[in-house]
Amino acid sequence: MKRALTAAFLVLVSLPLLYAMSQLPQHGSATSPAYTHIAPRYLERGPEEAGAENVVTDVILNYRGFDTNGEVTVIFTSLAAVFAVLLAGREGDERSASEPRARTTPEVSPVASFVVRLLSPFVAIFAVYVVMNGHISPGGGFQGGTVFGALLILATVVLGKATAEKLQPARIRGLLQAAAPLTFIAVGVAGLIMFGDYLAFPKAAALAWVRTLWLIVIEIGIGVGGASIISAIFWQMGGDR
Amino acid sequence: MSTLDAILNTVAALLCIVGAFFFFVGTVGVLRLPDFYSRTHAATKCDTVGAGSVLLGLALLQGFDPATLKLLLLAVLVLISSPTAGHALARAVFRGGLEPWTRPGHRTGGGVS
Repeated sequence: MKRALTAAFLVLVSLPLLYAMSQLPQHGSATSPAYTHIAPRYLERGPEEAGAENVVTDVILNYRGFDTNGEVTVIFTSLAAVFAVLLAGREGDERSASEPRARTTPEVSPVASFVVRLLSPFVAIFAVYVVMNGHISPGGGFQGGTVFGALLILATVVLGKATAEKLQPARIRGLLQAAAPLTFIAVGVAGLIMFGDYLAFPKAAALAWVRTLWLIVIEIGIGVGGASIISAIFWQMGGDR
Repeated sequence: MSTLDAILNTVAALLCIVGAFFFFVGTVGVLRLPDFYSRTHAATKCDTVGAGSVLLGLALLQGFDPATLKLLLLAVLVLISSPTAGHALARAVFRGGLEPWTRPGHRTGGGVS
């Protein structure tokens, strides 16, 4: 009886869904509303309207700013979850093994150390370039932040955690990790105060530089936050060495 | 097309072919060589000689241009980073105690047994 009721309920729910699916435009069809209204408008008016030459940046930071705001919050939440899981497991560990670990890190090859020291400044400059140029060329906060996070991980592996951690002073590390959602919220509230809506960008043509500036500010926030989160997760998983 | 252009193009094409050849040899080496060390050795040849000469050839084709500078910088980067990666890999594995492969009967030692 219960089983039959469940089956009947499922059929009842699935029928309208299946009907709605049959009415959807063909996947990839050029006449679907997504391609006839939204995409052309983004492509035509994005650069003047949203403040970035790069239409992808227009879409993710301006037109769909809400979405990306939620996304960076999710990334920050995932860091919190990693901390919660790994730190909870470690507390019991520390009491039992308070003496220094028996296993020591093998000494680092001088060649690798030299090359990493040689290339690090260039990698860092490239990361900043990718972040700051996100509104003109492919790239942006997520990509540049990942490059810088990879640099931090490389420095941790080759030069040691102490050296790498100097790049993120412990006092402001929490703020750095939360940089992406914080910047988004700051820009959003600024829009609320100045133009009446959360994440509202100025509309006047004369204020185009403000739109671009805000995009760059968000990009920097995402970049700093991304790099801090990637390195923090790596440091947590790498233990105390 | 002047003679100089013809020479430049030929040299560029030759460099690209040499690069492709080294990529091929490196790939065969990764697939066919007997152990980790020799395979790492083959793989680094792809990036250093292979990518290096392809990038040099492309730089010649491009002539005097900002893009040429980028290509040359890329070649330098590859020339520095790829051998380092191979070195770090081989060193880590050797420290980890993997014995290098030798021909059966030709035990010269060197690894940690």
